[in-house]
Amino acid sequence: MTHRDPESDSAAEASPVLAPGHTYGTVTDKISALVLVRPYNWRWFLGLGVGFALTMMLLLAITVLLVHGVGIWGVDVPVMWGFAIVNFVWWIGIGHAGTLISAILLLLKQDWRTSINRFAEAMTLFAVACAGLFPLLHLGRPWVFYWLLPYPNTMALWPQWRSPLIWDVFAVSTYATVSLLFWYVGLIPDLATLRDRAKNRWAGYIYGFLAMGWRGSARHWHRYRTAYLLLAGLATPLVVSVHSVVSLDFTVAILPGWHSTIFPPYFVAGAIFSGFAMVVTIAVPLRAAYGLHDFITTRHLENMAKVMLATGLIVAYGYLMEAFTAWYSHDPYERFVQLANRPFGPYAHTYWMMLTCNVFIPQLLWFRSVRTSALGLWVLAFFVNIGMWLERYVIVITSLHRDFLPSSWAMYHGTVWDYATYYGTLGLFLSLMFLFIRFLPVISISEMRELVHETEQDQERRAEQLSTEGTVS
Amino acid sequence: MSVSTNMIAEGELRLRLDRFQWWALAAGGLGLFLSLAAWSLWPEQFWPSYLVAYVFWVGLALGCMGLTMLHHLVGGSWGLVVRRPMESGGMTLLPLALLFVPLALGLSQLYPWARPEEVAHDPQLQHKSLYLNVGFYLVRTVGYFVIWLVFASVLNRLSSDQDRRADHRPSGKLQWLSGPGLVLLFLTGTFSAIDWLMSLEPHWSSTIYGCLVIVGEALATLAMMIAVVVFLSADQPMAEATTPDRLNDLGNLMLTFTILWAYMSFMQYLIIWCGNLPEEIPWYLRRTRGGWQWVALALSLFHFFLPFFVLLFRESKRQSRLIVQVAILVLAMHWVDLIWLVVPASSDPASPRIPWVELPLSLVAMLGIGGLCTAFFIGHLKGRPLIPLNDPHLNEVIEHAGGLGQR
Repeated sequence: MTHRDPESDSAAEASPVLAPGHTYGTVTDKISALVLVRPYNWRWFLGLGVGFALTMMLLLAITVLLVHGVGIWGVDVPVMWGFAIVNFVWWIGIGHAGTLISAILLLLKQDWRTSINRFAEAMTLFAVACAGLFPLLHLGRPWVFYWLLPYPNTMALWPQWRSPLIWDVFAVSTYATVSLLFWYVGLIPDLATLRDRAKNRWAGYIYGFLAMGWRGSARHWHRYRTAYLLLAGLATPLVVSVHSVVSLDFTVAILPGWHSTIFPPYFVAGAIFSGFAMVVTIAVPLRAAYGLHDFITTRHLENMAKVMLATGLIVAYGYLMEAFTAWYSHDPYERFVQLANRPFGPYAHTYWMMLTCNVFIPQLLWFRSVRTSALGLWVLAFFVNIGMWLERYVIVITSLHRDFLPSSWAMYHGTVWDYATYYGTLGLFLSLMFLFIRFLPVISISEMRELVHETEQDQERRAEQLSTEGTVS
Repeated sequence: MSVSTNMIAEGELRLRLDRFQWWALAAGGLGLFLSLAAWSLWPEQFWPSYLVAYVFWVGLALGCMGLTMLHHLVGGSWGLVVRRPMESGGMTLLPLALLFVPLALGLSQLYPWARPEEVAHDPQLQHKSLYLNVGFYLVRTVGYFVIWLVFASVLNRLSSDQDRRADHRPSGKLQWLSGPGLVLLFLTGTFSAIDWLMSLEPHWSSTIYGCLVIVGEALATLAMMIAVVVFLSADQPMAEATTPDRLNDLGNLMLTFTILWAYMSFMQYLIIWCGNLPEEIPWYLRRTRGGWQWVALALSLFHFFLPFFVLLFRESKRQSRLIVQVAILVLAMHWVDLIWLVVPASSDPASPRIPWVELPLSLVAMLGIGGLCTAFFIGHLKGRPLIPLNDPHLNEVIEHAGGLGQR
C-alpha cells in the first residue's frame, strides 16, 4: 500500500469547522459572554438606532397607508402588483437559507452548519415576519385579514381554493410556525446555560422562565433530540413547498413571463441563493465584530459560497430556459416579453442589472480565492441580495406593464411610500437582528460543545490509526 | 487495512460476470435481430419503441456520468461502491453513439417537423424549422456525443491514473473538471431531451421538461447502480464494502430523486392544468385518455407512492433484498414513464389509444440495446479494480470508519 501522509489529504487540508484548542469551557465562555458579560457599546447602539429609526419610518408608512389606502403606492392599472409582492417574495426567499441550514443540513449530518444555524434561523423568522406584512398591507383592508381563513361565518364567505394566494396563506403561516418552533426548541438548552451563568438576578429569572425547567438530564436530552429531529423532518419539505407555492402565484396566471413550468424549482433555488447571500451578509460583520473567527471559519465561508454558486447556476439555467423556450415556442407574446421587452424595453436597465448581479458576478465564485476571502464574499453577497430583488421586480413589473392590450400599456414606478415601506422592513429586520445578537446566543452553545466532543474523538481515532499503521508497516 | 488488495474481479465473481456478459451479448444480438425484423414489418410502430429503449439506456449512461461528477464534487461514503460501475456505465455511450445511426434513418417517421409535406402546410412548423430541421438536429446530436464521450473517457482515464499514482494530482484534476463538467452535462442533457423527446410534439413546449427528464434519468441510474452493487456484493471485494450504511445512503439518494421527480411532474401538470391553454393542454389530453389515464395513474402509484413509502423506512434501505426489489420497480416504471412520454405523441388528442403492438416492440428494442450495453459495461468493469484505490476522499471515509467494511 502506498503510505499517505494524512496532512496532505485534501479533506484534511480544508480548514476545520472549529479552530483547534477549544474545550467545552472555552466554547461556553466565549459564546455566552457575548450576551452576559460584554458591556453595551456604541457600535451596537448605532446599529440598533439605525434599525429603530427605519422601523419608525415603517410605522409611519403603514399609518399613512391605513388612512389613505393603497392608492398611496405606485400600483395602478395595468401594474396592480408592485413593490408589495416583490418585497414579499424577496423576504420570504431570504428565509429559506435558514431552514435549509437548520433542517436539511442537519439531516445530511453536515457538521459545518453548527455555528451558523442559530442566527440563520433567527434570520428566517425575522425575514418571514417582514414578508408577511406585505400581502396583509396590500389587502386594502388589513383589519379583515382573517377573511382569508376558512371559518364558518354569517357572510357565507369562503376562500377560493383554486387560488394559490390562499395556498400562500397556509404555506407561509405553516412556515412561520415551524420555523419559530424549531428555533425555540433549539434554544432551550442554551437558555438554561444562560440562566445558570447569569449574574444579574432578573436576567436569570427571564432566561430561566424561557428555559422551561431544563435541567440537562439524560431524559431531557433524549426527548430534545427526538423533538429536534422530528422538527427537522417537518421543516425539510417546507424548504421546497413554500417557495413553490409562491411561484404558483405567478405561474397559474396565463400571463407571458409568468406561466412557465420551470418556475417552482427555479424559485426555490433562487430563494436559497438569496438566503445564503443574506447569511453571508450577516455572518461576515458578525464574526469581525465579535471575534468569532474560531467558530465561523474559512470553511464556513467557502461552503456557503459553493451553495451560492450551485443555486446561482440553477437560477441562470432558469433564465436560459425561459428565453430559449420563448424563442423555440414561437409564441408571439412570450417572445415579446422574454426577448424584446425585458432585455430591450423600458426596464432593460433593471433586467441587465439583474443578470449582472445574479449571473455574471457570481461566476467569480468558481475561484477559490474569492470563496475564501471574507470581504470579497461579502461584497459579492451584497450584489446577489440586490440582484434577487431586481429579479422579482423584473418578473412582476415587465410582465404586467405591457399586457395584451397596447392601449393600456403604462409605466410603473414605486412612490415614496413604497420605498418607505420597503426600507422600513429592512429597519425592522435590522432591529430584530441587533436585539437577537444582544440577548440570545448567536451560536448554539450546546451544539458547539458537541462539535468539540466529535473533533476530539476524531483526532484520537486518527492518532490511534496512525500508530497501528506504523507498527504494521 | 484491506485496501491493499488489488480489488479486481476474480474467482467466482469473474466467472459470474463472464457468464452474465455472454448472456447479455446473446440477448443483445437476438434483440437487435428481432428489432430489424420488427422494423421491416411495422416501420411506423417500430421507431417510437426504439426511441424509448434508446433514451432509457442513454439516460442511464448520462446519469452515471452526472453522478460520478457529483461525487467528485461532494464526496461521501456511497461513492466507494458505485464509483467504478458508474464510470463503466458512462463508457456505454460508445456503443450507444453507434446505435443512434439507425434512429437517424427514422427521423421522418418520428418527428412531424422532419416530414416536408407536413411542414408545408403548417406555418408554425415553418417558423420553427430554423431550429427543428434534420440537418441541425443531427449536428446537435453529434455535438452532444462528442462532449459526452470526451468527458466519459477523461473521467475514466483520470480515475485509472488515480489507482496507479501515490500523489493526488489526478484527484485534483477530477475535482476541477467536475464542476464545469456537470454544468455542461446538464445543458447538453436538457437540449438532448428537448431535441429527442420534446420535439416529438413540436407545437408544445415546457420550460421544466429538460429538468424533468434529467431527474428521471438520475433516479433510474441510482436504481440500476443499486442493482449492480447488490449483484457484485455476493463476492469479495464488494461483499465487504457494501455495508448496510452505504446501501442506506444510496437508498436515501434514490428517495430524494423519487421525490424530486414527483415534485417536478406534479408541478408541470398543475401549472398546465391551471392554465388550460390550447397550445399546452393537448399534451396531457393525449396522455390521460383512451387507456393512457391508467398508465398515468400507475405512474403516480408505482413511480412515486410505493417506492416513496417503502424508502421512507430505514430498515428497507439496509436490506439488499428489499432495496433491489424497489430498484427494479423504479427501473420498470422509468421505462413505463418513457413510453408514456414518447408513444402518445403521435396520436390525435381527441381520441388517443394505446397501440399495444408497440409494447413488445419496445421490449425487443430494450433487449437489443440493453444487452449490448450491458455486455460492454461488464467488459469495461472487469478490466479495473472494482473499488477506486487511491481516492483521497474515499480513503478519508475508510479511515474515518476504521476499515473498508466498517460503517
